[in-house]
Amino acid sequence: MTDGPKMKPELKMQAEVQSDVRKNPRRIAFILRRSSPYVKAQDDGRVMTYPTALARFIIALEVAFVLLVWISLLANAPLEGIADPMHTPNPAKAPWYFLGLQELLHYFPPMVAGVLVPGLVVGALIVIPYFNINIEGESLWARDRKRRLMIVGVALVLFCIFLLVFDVIVALVPTILIGGLMLWSARFSPESPKLFHRWLASKPLSFWIMSWFLVELTILTVVGTFFRGPGWSWVLPWQS
Amino acid sequence: MSDVKTQVQETPVGATAKDEKCKDCGRREFFAKVGMGSLAVAAAGAGLFSYEFFSPNVLFEAPPIVKAGKPDEFPQGSVTLDPKSAIYIINGNKGFYALSAICTHLGCLTAWKPELDLIACPCHGSRFNRDGVKVAGPAPEPLPWLKTWLAEDGNLMVDRSTTLKEPEYVKV
Amino acid sequence: MATTIKSEFERIRNTEVWRTIFRSGSGSSNLHRSQAVQQNIFLHLFSVKVRSRALEFSPTWYLGALTLSTFFILIATGILLMFYYHPSVPQAYADMKDLQFVVASGVFLRNLHRWSAHAMVFLVFAHMFKVFYRGAYRPPRQFNWVIGVFLLLITLLLSYTGYLLPWDQLAFWAVTVGSNIAKAVPLMGKQIRFLMLGGNEVNANALLRFYVLHCVILPLAAILLVGVHFWRIRKDGGLYVPEKKQL
Repeated sequence: MTDGPKMKPELKMQAEVQSDVRKNPRRIAFILRRSSPYVKAQDDGRVMTYPTALARFIIALEVAFVLLVWISLLANAPLEGIADPMHTPNPAKAPWYFLGLQELLHYFPPMVAGVLVPGLVVGALIVIPYFNINIEGESLWARDRKRRLMIVGVALVLFCIFLLVFDVIVALVPTILIGGLMLWSARFSPESPKLFHRWLASKPLSFWIMSWFLVELTILTVVGTFFRGPGWSWVLPWQS
Repeated sequence: MSDVKTQVQETPVGATAKDEKCKDCGRREFFAKVGMGSLAVAAAGAGLFSYEFFSPNVLFEAPPIVKAGKPDEFPQGSVTLDPKSAIYIINGNKGFYALSAICTHLGCLTAWKPELDLIACPCHGSRFNRDGVKVAGPAPEPLPWLKTWLAEDGNLMVDRSTTLKEPEYVKV
Repeated sequence: MATTIKSEFERIRNTEVWRTIFRSGSGSSNLHRSQAVQQNIFLHLFSVKVRSRALEFSPTWYLGALTLSTFFILIATGILLMFYYHPSVPQAYADMKDLQFVVASGVFLRNLHRWSAHAMVFLVFAHMFKVFYRGAYRPPRQFNWVIGVFLLLITLLLSYTGYLLPWDQLAFWAVTVGSNIAKAVPLMGKQIRFLMLGGNEVNANALLRFYVLHCVILPLAAILLVGVHFWRIRKDGGLYVPEKKQL
């Protein structure tokens, strides 16, 4: 985007008065097919990055800063006694964002909960955009409804049995919840009268998996943070 | 590399990389291979060097053999945790033996719970009996038995780096 | 008064020295504004214009901008905290106490660093889920999603390494557990743990290693990837905003 011919002063004045590109088109660059960013023709309005978008970012920065300063003035960061290899605190908890993982470590061997599961999660996240099925975003029940219903049903039952065998009730509940919703959504089609039903029916498989992951992550983290006491036993947060 | 490829593609119509007409190509390909090969060797060497560099050769850690104390300090049937060396000295029916007090799950220091007659881990809830056998929880293995013997000065000695496969008891 | 300040500022913006720094000068035409972005090394990562839909609240909830904000706060407070921190045992813990009771504003800076770190982890996760549900990972934005996943990992590693630095009980046992998870990696788990801790137990070597990772290696990696992440937004055609559609 280099400027084209050298501008004369009067031209510059005009640019200041009328700067709407669509009214006064000026060629400022050739966009070649090979090097152009992939944008579909869109008819929506545009604003300048400087100063409009930048101002928005600065407002976001200020909001974050003000909130965090208030929190920091009101609450002190935790600091326990000096590290002591001779005494393990009970319960020994990681920071909240690792407590979902720690909750899993309570059920499965470290090889599974500490290496296999996080590895699979990261792998799954990375490959999301490289699967056509995710990109098309076609509803799970759009085609092959009966066959898919059977596959999903069997997979869900097997997974629930697996969780039951390892006694992972905490992970079982969200699985049944999301899985049930998923199977229920097969009853609806894009022609269903209710908006919520149509919305459910339009969701692709990746939506269901990601939502399951989100609910699972939230519940495991909440349980690990608030419902686990000495010896990683089940406690209610208002009891301790 | 890309230069080489371009050159190959720009040879006259009908000439491929392996074509005898393209005399230069074999030489270029050879040097490209030599170049890439030496880069690979250098990368492997750098990896090895980094591994060596990041592994400390001298450590200031506690020695594995510890003096646990005189046998008469441990009453019959007692399980005593020595938190400093992270071992249990147990005076059982068949004699003395030592267990590692570090949970085989994720390395937390376990504690003896006399009211339960169990060894319990505070981190993820594993429990072991006084022979180190897992009773509950996620620990993959029992607590290891450590080599124990009676020294000439009458002290029980424990080697934390040597685990026993079969239970052995020290009779006093 | 306000006009005086404005005209004075305008005068400064037209001085020769200012023009050597910001070449776009004082004009407010779109050309000047474009140049203000293009000719600034930091801003030129962004496109000159953005879709006004992308600036609305609902498509993004400003989660990316908020994440970057917390990252800025973390860099600023982190550098300040480094002035009073020795990565050695047991001095590290004593430094925490000094920050709490001796250093002016020390406790505030430590609080701000800790709470911003929590906020950043939360915001990174929220940003990821928001991008997913908006469908913004689809072509041509695949690779930017992958960079985002790596940024998530770096964020978690930054939190984890930062967690050990106060050398308190929480730190010590969280890292003991974490390093034993590394031991569970098949075949080379023991070596990984040994390299990670610089020994067989969580001790002074481990503290120093985590300090270097936390203060140098991981922040540099994060800054680098954040740069690529923003540049890719421009190269991939701006923020993805789904068209308003009826279900």
